[in-house]
Amino acid sequence: MDGAYRPGPFGRGLAWVTALYLVLPILIVVPVALTDQRFLSLPQDGISFRHFQTVLGSAEWLGSIWQSFTIALAATVLSVVAGTLCAIGCWRISRRATDLVRVLMLLPLIIPSIVYAIGLYRYFGPLGLLDRFLGVVIAHGVTGIPYVVITVSTALAAFDPRLEQAARGMGASLSQTLRWVILPRIAPGIFSGAIFAFIHSWDELVMVLFIASRDVFTLPRRIWDGINENLDPAMAAVAVLLILFTLLLLLADRALRRRTEGG
Amino acid sequence: MSAAGRASAGWWWLILPAFLLLVVFYIAPIVQVLAISVTEPEPGLGNYERLFTSGAVQRVILTTLRICVITTALALLLGYAIAYAITLATPQAQGWWILAVLVPLWISVLVRAFAWVTLLRRQGLVNNTLMEAGLITEPLPLVWNEFGIVVGMVHYMVPFAVLPMLASMKEIDPRLLAAARGLGASRGAVFRRVFLPLSLPGVIAAGVLVFIFSLGFYITPAILGGGKTLMVAEWIGLQILDLIRWGLGTMMATMLVVAILVTPAIFSRIVDLRRIFGTGA
Amino acid sequence: MSDLGGHALALSGLTKRYGDFTAVDRVSLDVARGEFLTLLGPSGSGKTTILMAVAGFVAPSEGAILLDGRDITPLPPERRDFGMVFQGYALFPHMTVAENVAFPLRVRGLSRADRDAKVRAALDLVQLGFFADRLPKQLSGGQQQRVALARALVFEPNLLLLDEPLSALDKKLRAELQEELKALHRRVGRTFINVTHDQEEALSLSDRIAILNHGKLVQAGAPTDLYERPRTRFVADFLGKSNFLEGTVRAVVAGGFGLEAGGTQIVVALPPGIDAPSVGARSVVSLRPEKVALLLDGDVADNTVEGRIAGFAYLGAGFALRVDVPGLGEVRATLPAWKAPIAPAEGLTVRLGWAAEAAVPVEEDGR
Repeated sequence: MDGAYRPGPFGRGLAWVTALYLVLPILIVVPVALTDQRFLSLPQDGISFRHFQTVLGSAEWLGSIWQSFTIALAATVLSVVAGTLCAIGCWRISRRATDLVRVLMLLPLIIPSIVYAIGLYRYFGPLGLLDRFLGVVIAHGVTGIPYVVITVSTALAAFDPRLEQAARGMGASLSQTLRWVILPRIAPGIFSGAIFAFIHSWDELVMVLFIASRDVFTLPRRIWDGINENLDPAMAAVAVLLILFTLLLLLADRALRRRTEGG
Repeated sequence: MSAAGRASAGWWWLILPAFLLLVVFYIAPIVQVLAISVTEPEPGLGNYERLFTSGAVQRVILTTLRICVITTALALLLGYAIAYAITLATPQAQGWWILAVLVPLWISVLVRAFAWVTLLRRQGLVNNTLMEAGLITEPLPLVWNEFGIVVGMVHYMVPFAVLPMLASMKEIDPRLLAAARGLGASRGAVFRRVFLPLSLPGVIAAGVLVFIFSLGFYITPAILGGGKTLMVAEWIGLQILDLIRWGLGTMMATMLVVAILVTPAIFSRIVDLRRIFGTGA
Repeated sequence: MSDLGGHALALSGLTKRYGDFTAVDRVSLDVARGEFLTLLGPSGSGKTTILMAVAGFVAPSEGAILLDGRDITPLPPERRDFGMVFQGYALFPHMTVAENVAFPLRVRGLSRADRDAKVRAALDLVQLGFFADRLPKQLSGGQQQRVALARALVFEPNLLLLDEPLSALDKKLRAELQEELKALHRRVGRTFINVTHDQEEALSLSDRIAILNHGKLVQAGAPTDLYERPRTRFVADFLGKSNFLEGTVRAVVAGGFGLEAGGTQIVVALPPGIDAPSVGARSVVSLRPEKVALLLDGDVADNTVEGRIAGFAYLGAGFALRVDVPGLGEVRATLPAWKAPIAPAEGLTVRLGWAAEAAVPVEEDGR
């Protein structure tokens, strides 16, 4: 039915304004990063890549990028392993008892990280995990589990449980069934969950502010200090690099999903 | 134990790692926060008394509630417009609209706060443009105040408002809209009497979600508020890191958790909670 | 309400194109006041597009829609005052039955008292007064269908449009509601336009049927006209079952002609108003299976052929026979079971016969 019902001019206008409000401010950092000036501004006499050079030539920035990357990688492994196993277990058991587990999974998504961060600050002290790589990996990995559980559960919802029963019926053990029947089918869901868990850790600041100080100084922490202390175009360059990196991850996720849906 | 019971015991082991990790490294630290709030500086409810006696505590709560209510209202309005446009758009246009909603969702909150500072500060792009155009002579105070916080928070929250509303609008049978028009309703009447009432569960779910997310927001208010307008999350951080007042900080953290768990519980009578979190990913 | 209250509708050269695809191709059709017209066709024939154009949801690419001679093509749906029953009914799930029925009155700004009286009358009309305060999901399919009817009729619309109104119901209920719908049409005396792909529904409900195929109007007429004198092979095939005999015209006389099909001579009577074919032309005639009789020794008929029973099915009310006739191919015949002259068996040689008036010449469809 064409032309059956369309939004009126007011609704349409508001939707457009909102879309621009969502997208434009993010795009504005691109010209600012390319400015030829030494302060935050639009390019005056031409574009320049020197602020990118500043960032990519700085041992401090590169050190933080590397640290954030390794932390995110390790945290993602933790989230993916624990989250995937948990999602499969919940899917297979599917009893009231697992409702508790599901609620538990929701808590990190809705309880503000400030509450968790101050808790960790106190909790990690006696354990010697403050300002340690392992401490941040645990904090990020544990709070990343829900993302994996959600994406894997979604993938499992489309999976016929009889396939699993058939495999067990033909004599496959639990671990063989997992490896040969279930995991290959839900791989795209796991991959999506991994991307989300990675972004979660990569962007995380509030916990890091409390449980890390000198030895662990992640990229968000350095950006935070930059915004609070010296607003210079190098910050915009970092922002652009981050945006590109995030888009790349999302595109990878999309491409993978499209491929599995197409095949 | 029956054969089926033994078979399913194996599956329980799969849940165990995540369960233990969450209990030991998530629940325990948070329970500790709750415990500190009634044990430090001395055992008792002394910290909670401050809710009724301390003007500073009440001020920060009121500021937070005010900003959260404004943010929720604006995010719902803007999110509704987008969700409405997506629902009624052609499939190709839908893809672009959804992209406009989802991409900001995944861009670092720091990057977004930084972008707003770039735009809104005294020598920022907005003020410079307006001054060059001769529309203003003095820079407008657009950031490091409540206005800046609301602009940044609404920007962050709109995608979270869109997703539950979109889910509930997609369930509306488009034939109902055609039927309403065929029965003589104008465009406005179709919206008011059919579309809006049917999308209301999604609006409530979105409102609850945005409100509870806003309550504990730290980074955006801290950057765009410039330390002058304090919301509870930043205030808690201040108590712990700078003033070392653990009792007061954990008391407020406990109140925050209570508010966040109670708000959805109140609304769960009106709307199915799964609507709120069903589209969380 | 029973004076011919309806309005007359005319489609003039109605065309709807979607890109290269022509969904409706130059359809012209008149619907008389108070008439029950059915648009009948297979899926993709354009029947629903025509209905949606009449309702105002589809803008025609060309052509016009006239109500009592007035061009209403540019009017939006809410200004046409047409009642419509949607496929699946499209009842508002958040409103009670009474609120659903009151909706068209509310958007027209009627006072509460007027609304209540009309809603009650409309619900009584479809015998649902008792259910006024229920929600649609608490009703059965048949009851929902009647709410949709009450809602479409309550504001005394110019026309009532029905989009496959019975397709969601099971077979038995469908038959019941067909009768109700027919009675309702007589009671309210308005013009009804119905869309369906169910030929039995079309035959039993309609004053007139318009048959569509590939977006074109193939034939329109009273159900008996269409069934007895299909103009094209498609109409004969779509409306009921038919044998088709193809051959060359050998002789033309007043009121009939002779056809040679596969070595068999067949005499065909011409219905009034149809031109006789010329000698030597190819011609196809449609022969309904129920008009073919099984002849015993000594029985005579205008046309007789002999063949072997290739298969048969017992249908309760009758037998359906497939008979291999050398030269003609397979001829289907249905016989009333209670007076079948013989017990059919495969391989049995039988003689079939039919009257000259039984076969009707049909055109091959273009495309």
